[in-house]
Amino acid sequence: MARIGRAIVRVPRRISKGQVFKVQMVITHPMETGFRKDKKTGKVIPAHYITKVEFLFNGKKVTTLHTGAGVSKNPYFAVKMKATESGTLTIKYEDNKGGKWSKEVKINVS
Amino acid sequence: MITRRDLFKVAGVGAVALTVAPGMVRESFGAPKKISIDDALKEHLGTGLSGLKESNLIHIKAPTIAESGANVPVQVSANIPVDQVEALYIFADANFNPWVATVEFTPMNGEVFFATRIKLAKTSPVRAVVKMKDGSLLAASKEVKVTVGGCG
Repeated sequence: MARIGRAIVRVPRRISKGQVFKVQMVITHPMETGFRKDKKTGKVIPAHYITKVEFLFNGKKVTTLHTGAGVSKNPYFAVKMKATESGTLTIKYEDNKGGKWSKEVKINVS
Repeated sequence: MITRRDLFKVAGVGAVALTVAPGMVRESFGAPKKISIDDALKEHLGTGLSGLKESNLIHIKAPTIAESGANVPVQVSANIPVDQVEALYIFADANFNPWVATVEFTPMNGEVFFATRIKLAKTSPVRAVVKMKDGSLLAASKEVKVTVGGCG
């Protein structure tokens, strides 16, 4: 699955200064718990899940999520953020198998 | 002739081989062990269920009945100024590992808010625990009925 780690991030198109807005994201990821068995072979499917998601705005930390295998497949996360200025929201995320990705979104504050 | 001592030696070598085997192999040997909610709370918060203070400032939005335990939307918000809050924890009591997620907040968040979708093995309370900067723990929970479990 080459698509593991792809993310879609959604932020409001127009944000006014001082507004608290929602940042929503979905990551394509299997989120295997390590408890599930392959029905054909009977072997346990190794755990594979997102462990950390970091939200940085203009390089400053906004939120860090630590997640376990209890989060659903293709995880959805939403957090809120206060608009102070325009800039770049960088979302860095990694999984327990060493996968590391990042995604950048422009935030336009008017 | 195999003496009792020899047997121990063999057993010892076997045990060492098991511990040095790569993580993936080792995992498949041990059957998953259910971690109790109390232990999970202790591990992440340093205190068990008794250390939590029920609070009506925390709101959990989750379905009362979930058709599939594989995908249960959970939304947590709290009427607490974000600069007093350190982190938010989400637990699902009946899961093998009840800890689901931890969210660290900064004043840049503006509000204490987090939404995600979680797996539930079976009908159980979903707990949200807010860790305040002063160290106190505020909690809220909501029972979610699950008709089909979501953990394999």
